[in-house]
Amino acid sequence: MKALIVIALLGVVTMMSEVFRFKKLLLPLVVVGLLAACGLAIGDWNTAIRYYSDMVYFDNYSLAFTSLIIVLTLLWLIISKGYFVSDSSRAEHATLILFTLCGGVIMTAYSDLSMFFVGLEILSISLYVLASSNKHDLKSNEAGMKYFLMGSFATGFLLFGMALIYGAAASFNLVKIAEYVQTTAAHGQTPMFVYTGVLLMMVGLMFKVSAAPFHFWAPDVYEGAPTLITAFMATVVKTAAFAAFYRLFSTCFGDISGFWAQTLAVISAVTMLTGNILAVSQTSLKRMLAYSSIAHAGYMLMAIVAMNKISGGAIFLYATAYSLGSLGAFACLHAISKYGDESIENLKGFAADNKIWAGLLGVIVLSLAGIPPVAGFFAKYYIFYGVFQSNFTWLVLVAILSSLIGVYYYFRIIITMVQPRSEKATVLPALTGAHKALLLISALLALGIGIYPAFLQGLLS
Amino acid sequence: MVLLSTPVDYLPIAMMFVVAIGFVLFVMFATHWMGPKHKSKVKLEAFECGIESKGNSRLPFSIKYFLIAILFVLFDVEVIFMYPWAVNFAEWSKHGLAAFGEMLVFLGLLVFGLIYIIRKGALKWE
Repeated sequence: MKALIVIALLGVVTMMSEVFRFKKLLLPLVVVGLLAACGLAIGDWNTAIRYYSDMVYFDNYSLAFTSLIIVLTLLWLIISKGYFVSDSSRAEHATLILFTLCGGVIMTAYSDLSMFFVGLEILSISLYVLASSNKHDLKSNEAGMKYFLMGSFATGFLLFGMALIYGAAASFNLVKIAEYVQTTAAHGQTPMFVYTGVLLMMVGLMFKVSAAPFHFWAPDVYEGAPTLITAFMATVVKTAAFAAFYRLFSTCFGDISGFWAQTLAVISAVTMLTGNILAVSQTSLKRMLAYSSIAHAGYMLMAIVAMNKISGGAIFLYATAYSLGSLGAFACLHAISKYGDESIENLKGFAADNKIWAGLLGVIVLSLAGIPPVAGFFAKYYIFYGVFQSNFTWLVLVAILSSLIGVYYYFRIIITMVQPRSEKATVLPALTGAHKALLLISALLALGIGIYPAFLQGLLS
Repeated sequence: MVLLSTPVDYLPIAMMFVVAIGFVLFVMFATHWMGPKHKSKVKLEAFECGIESKGNSRLPFSIKYFLIAILFVLFDVEVIFMYPWAVNFAEWSKHGLAAFGEMLVFLGLLVFGLIYIIRKGALKWE
């Protein structure tokens, strides 16, 4: 709770930094504030307090995810300097980032559906503006518009679902809804419109996490938005959305999982196949990463399908590994796409120029692909193990198959980067200190988590 | 699973849809058929408070009007939140000043927003 208040106040203060002319302090202020918020969140570990007549509930689950998204934002800030310096409205951008984070924290910690909606809207509305924040770029405008129209439409589904659930349980409170679902399910008297509500809420949430068949917005929006905002969306926002998804379904609808688990299993299989197969044929690195993020959404959905003792820890570990890998990959993309060309061919000759950094990028890509010594493998392992225990063997098989497809295009990054530079290439990949720092940190963390994955996984089990 | 409600129970909803659509269609066609038609030049003109209409209505006008209007709506909506608070205040104030403090926080954030738009020059007309 303290972390949430600190982030919200920090947003207001950064908003004031331009009109009261302390813009120079902007980034240091944000970094110090976020560090403080992260410290406060970790300091609350094992307390589990319900605030404001059970509107938000900061248990270990939400504290872990809160700390994770704050740390990811801090890592993201390392490469974000260009985004804030060269713009006349950088104070607003910093404010919007902080408000997005604020919404994300509420989404990890809500204990009431109304609070969930408030958090989702704070996150989404800031993000619509951020997606179109490159005002003079037509693609960025298009991305913002598409995201806004489709996002508000999906929110409509979510709200309709909430209304039906409220109509049945007569409460927005997660605990009360869970009690209602449990008692009616025990007598086999769950009314039809509870099922409808669950399905509609699932549709709204699946849009937010870009699961197929609700993924069509993702590649266009990811491509059009400024690269740094895409990196933020693919990591922090996706983690928060999954935290909310898992929290809702594990708290409330576990007792009627017989109804939705099969549906979600099929959707998760379709999502990872769609993401991985479509990523293979992409020539733009940015679009490829967008499809890869769709595929990873499919893997994370598997943890919600499994819904057993280890899924909470598994989804946390997976979100961490995926976000670290994505941040590293996007840092590299941002470095080579300075002139607006995001083709994967730009990576040619990258390894010859930057031996160490190409190696680190290799580690990150291996982690995304899920090759043993790195974090991504153990994240996948725990997810698959949980799903296996819940008797969805076919889903594990599909997941392994689609991982193999994934290996193909992830390795294309590595193969392209060790190839000699083509004569036509005009863009010289140049890594700045910030990009190098983020590559180093995310690769080291990916390796560290790969060596000792049980720590993160065990936090929530 | 045992179904408490069968699809037949939702028949009233389907009937309501039919009635709603039917009413709209009925009114649209009924006014069309029943009303008298005078197609003179004056009747077909756009009504402009009695003044003769001229020119194109799709003129570009200053974005400032829109900005002022949207800021007004914003603060207007936020003031609406004070009504339920004021109605319940007599009851809440018996239990201490918490409700008062919460409204102060809300108004404080509102004032920050106001300061922000004034300092940004959003209300400057010239």
